[in-house]
Amino acid sequence: MLAVLLGSCATMPDDAFRLSESALEMREIQTRSYSDVSDVEILSASSAVLQDLGYAIDEVEKELGVLSASKRADAKDAAEIAGSIALDVADCLLTLFIGCERDSFDATKDVQDIKMTLVVLPVLGKERTYSVRLTMQRVVWARDGTIYDQETVNDAAVYQAFFDKLSKSVFLEKEGV
Amino acid sequence: MRILVASVALMVAGCAAQTAAITAGSSQVELRQMQTREYETLDKRGTLRSVVATLQDLGFVIDKADYELATISATKLQNYEIRMTVTVRQREGDRLAVRANARFNEKPIEDPQSYQDFFTALDKAMFLTLHKVD
Repeated sequence: MLAVLLGSCATMPDDAFRLSESALEMREIQTRSYSDVSDVEILSASSAVLQDLGYAIDEVEKELGVLSASKRADAKDAAEIAGSIALDVADCLLTLFIGCERDSFDATKDVQDIKMTLVVLPVLGKERTYSVRLTMQRVVWARDGTIYDQETVNDAAVYQAFFDKLSKSVFLEKEGV
Repeated sequence: MRILVASVALMVAGCAAQTAAITAGSSQVELRQMQTREYETLDKRGTLRSVVATLQDLGFVIDKADYELATISATKLQNYEIRMTVTVRQREGDRLAVRANARFNEKPIEDPQSYQDFFTALDKAMFLTLHKVD
């Protein structure tokens, strides 16, 4: 209750709208280029990966290359949460099987809502080459329905795991699988 | 317990006073001015893409994007929530006006510095777009 009050009263950090020193580095971590593909192929391959991982597509705007998706997943102990989206993204089926045993949960955390945006843009001066930039965030809900944590996902391993899947998906898309 | 109740009441009162102070100071015209920046271009697609790229750089995830209506909505989560909507409209003299409005948690953001910071970041992306640099 107090935390909620403090939260709603909290003042905004000065740097909320300033590019951080790590902005460029984050952009690199969050971006990959794919060549010899069309815009439709890369968007289809991306949505296929999201479907593989159990995400629902919330928004697609082909003109701007924007694709947003979300899913609700189990949130376990803190250590796991830190690395868990990696696990979650990399191997959500596994998490689905293990994660269903409720007694292994930390008592305070219940579920997390993960949301991500993929932006697909043509790379200037290169035919049939597209860059894909992914940004992710999540809200971890406590069992009493209050927000336990909300953050942007900055873990490079998470992004790497996603792009590995996307590379495979692009290949499958081309092969018509 | 009594102290707790009193301190909670104080905090609530503190919030209310703050909000009143913020809204009292700014007129509708001032608000629009601080939330708007014009660019000498008619490249709507490039401008919207720059907005999306800037929002991503600032840690936002895109909630809605509509090219036809030139509207982008996005959310940033970092132990707080900022929700922002950016629209692009054509203005006289072959210019595009980008207007951004945002709220921090439950309160609308009405301090000019935040928007100034946002447009400083957008300026960089727009420069690259307008000069066709990757």
